[in-house]
Amino acid sequence: MKFSMIPQVISQMFKHPFTNLFPAKYVPPSVTKFLEDVKAGKAKIIPPVETPEGFRGKIQYDREKCIGCKLCIKVCPSGAIEFKPEEKKIRIYLARCTFCSQCNDICPVHCLSMSNEFLLADADKYSKDLIVE
Amino acid sequence: MKRLSPEEIVDQFKEKFGDNIKDSSIKTYHIGPKKIELPDLWITVDRSVFKETVRYLITLEKYPHLAVISGYDAGDTINLIYHFFIYFGEKRREQSINIVVPLPKSNPVVDTISDIIPGALISEQEKQEMLGVKIKDIPKDSRVFISEDFPEDKYPWRKDEKGVDDIARNLHEVEKDE
Amino acid sequence: MNKTITYQIPIGPIHPALKEPVMFEFEIEGEKIKDVDVHLGQVHRGIEWAGMRRNSIQILYLAERICGICSYSHPAAFTLAVERIAGIEVPERAEYLRVIQAELERICSHILWAGVAAHEIGFDSVLFLTWQIREKALDLTEYLTGNRVTKAIMMIGGVRRDITEDMLPTIRKSLDFLKENFEKLRKVFLDDKTVQMRTKNCGILTKEDALKLCAVGPTTRASGVKKDARLDQPYFAYNELDFDYVTPDVLTGEVNGDVYDRIIVRLLEVKQSIDLIEQCLDRMPSGEILAEPKIQKLLIQLKKAEGEAIGIIEAPRGEDIHFVKLVGEEHPHSWKVRAPTYNNILPWIPMLKGEQIADIPIVAASTDPCMSCTNRVAIVKNGHRDILLAEDLHRLSVEKTRRLMK
Repeated sequence: MKFSMIPQVISQMFKHPFTNLFPAKYVPPSVTKFLEDVKAGKAKIIPPVETPEGFRGKIQYDREKCIGCKLCIKVCPSGAIEFKPEEKKIRIYLARCTFCSQCNDICPVHCLSMSNEFLLADADKYSKDLIVE
Repeated sequence: MKRLSPEEIVDQFKEKFGDNIKDSSIKTYHIGPKKIELPDLWITVDRSVFKETVRYLITLEKYPHLAVISGYDAGDTINLIYHFFIYFGEKRREQSINIVVPLPKSNPVVDTISDIIPGALISEQEKQEMLGVKIKDIPKDSRVFISEDFPEDKYPWRKDEKGVDDIARNLHEVEKDE
Repeated sequence: MNKTITYQIPIGPIHPALKEPVMFEFEIEGEKIKDVDVHLGQVHRGIEWAGMRRNSIQILYLAERICGICSYSHPAAFTLAVERIAGIEVPERAEYLRVIQAELERICSHILWAGVAAHEIGFDSVLFLTWQIREKALDLTEYLTGNRVTKAIMMIGGVRRDITEDMLPTIRKSLDFLKENFEKLRKVFLDDKTVQMRTKNCGILTKEDALKLCAVGPTTRASGVKKDARLDQPYFAYNELDFDYVTPDVLTGEVNGDVYDRIIVRLLEVKQSIDLIEQCLDRMPSGEILAEPKIQKLLIQLKKAEGEAIGIIEAPRGEDIHFVKLVGEEHPHSWKVRAPTYNNILPWIPMLKGEQIADIPIVAASTDPCMSCTNRVAIVKNGHRDILLAEDLHRLSVEKTRRLMK
């Protein structure tokens, strides 16, 4: 066949786009302004594709349950977890976290878990949103 | 060509090279749900006969597959390991032959095999820059992975004073103190 | 009149035609390539060096980051080597689950490659078609492992996540989608006249060269060499599954070793992978998925292990070998990674010689090179790296021209 892609291209013209148009149908001139508008209720955001069950997103830490055994620090591949000796608790720097959830597996009291939150981009790697403690 | 069993290969090696075969072992792994046996052959040879052993391998398989040359700093010597595969092309027929060549640190020189197996070139260049061994008569004696501005006489895989521990920085620890 | 002058043109390290940093120096006579030199090392990161300062479980995730596309194959090869040293026996079910993950990765990788190859010859509508198919494959990966790219599924002694009964309908549905669309893609690629014109008799690697230069994976199979670690030295559950070496003569009856043959091999392997996943789903026994579910105990066991071994995996691009030496310490004594592209670099030289400049992108892409796999050692000199500024480059270039004029 000479142009084997033609039928495919034509049929595609009558279909919905395969991609999810996140965050809006057309790229807003200013994303920050767009997000402010969304907050104020002036604009509507197209949500991202839903994550499946068992997705490894932002880590969650149950401070009360933690016994300070430091096992998570031992297996963390990127050194994202810091021990706070005075309180015997941990601090997790998400900017370094690789989201492997190995600390969840080794924790003897199951005080760590993964949520489905994944929009974590930030200009400052030590911002409040990126430190879990 | 008749397929030799790993034991026969070891016997042939010993017959041909005598005392220059320092050590040999056949490790057997049990793989898969049925735990089938997979023999893995390791032979330590003296560097004086190393090139001859590779020539001998060619009599077993016209083009032995050299997967890679790995190596490590073993204290007094630098051990190079040549991972060869022969008899590939049919299910479960392949035999791995790992030839270990210990080189004394005082004079870590070994013959090139790029003239027999051209595919060994990059691997040999890499061993020169990572472990500080000297490959005699290597066809292309330049650095391949390490940049030209890297200090001479420093080799990332060495564990002695020629290693890179003193010039490496642990970036994240520096940052966390801020 | 007959005197010909050759010109040298550098391509790379960063160049629109190359997806990853590698530097070629071509010697050109007219439009024809006379000679090629390849320079590596632009994306060295010191992964092996970093690995020797981590314990075996941490290395799994470090190995995953050697390459974004083979993010399953590298930890798998490392695991295989460590399991051989420590004598860990993997439960039966885990062996099948491991095959499923490996084949899913192969599907993603080969479809991605098909898109890139189409893009390189200017066939961008196919690029979008492949992306659409790959998206489904990635969704399935996300569903099974919890993430799209870095799967974090491998564990020494088994796998970290099971496939439960209620997950099967979704998996089967995705596989059916892949099968159906794969057929479309196959037709577009293999029957299209333009694709054939651009890829047939282009970038030829003869069987002899492939053997001599120790090429691996689809690159060597397209030249007619039957080499596939899944069959040669079966690992995981591959020994129990029905499949065979994929060489281009399966489809066309002949082996040319050109770019077209490499497309055939990869596309047929996608089909083979879908079939292998289905076989695994059917034959998988029930049972445990980890040899030692307590990670802490596993760490202690690994700390005691001593010995050296190699782990060989057939990654999407070819055999991937990890050599590991443990000496009864927390950190391994040495770790050497040999990614498939490492062996597929030298074959570029015979492939590119005699071709035209315009064929460089597709020929270079036809081995599916992955430079970040191949380069792994970072070099920092007293804390900085010497950077040549544009003026320096210009100066060097002028100097060179003057030198040549003399």
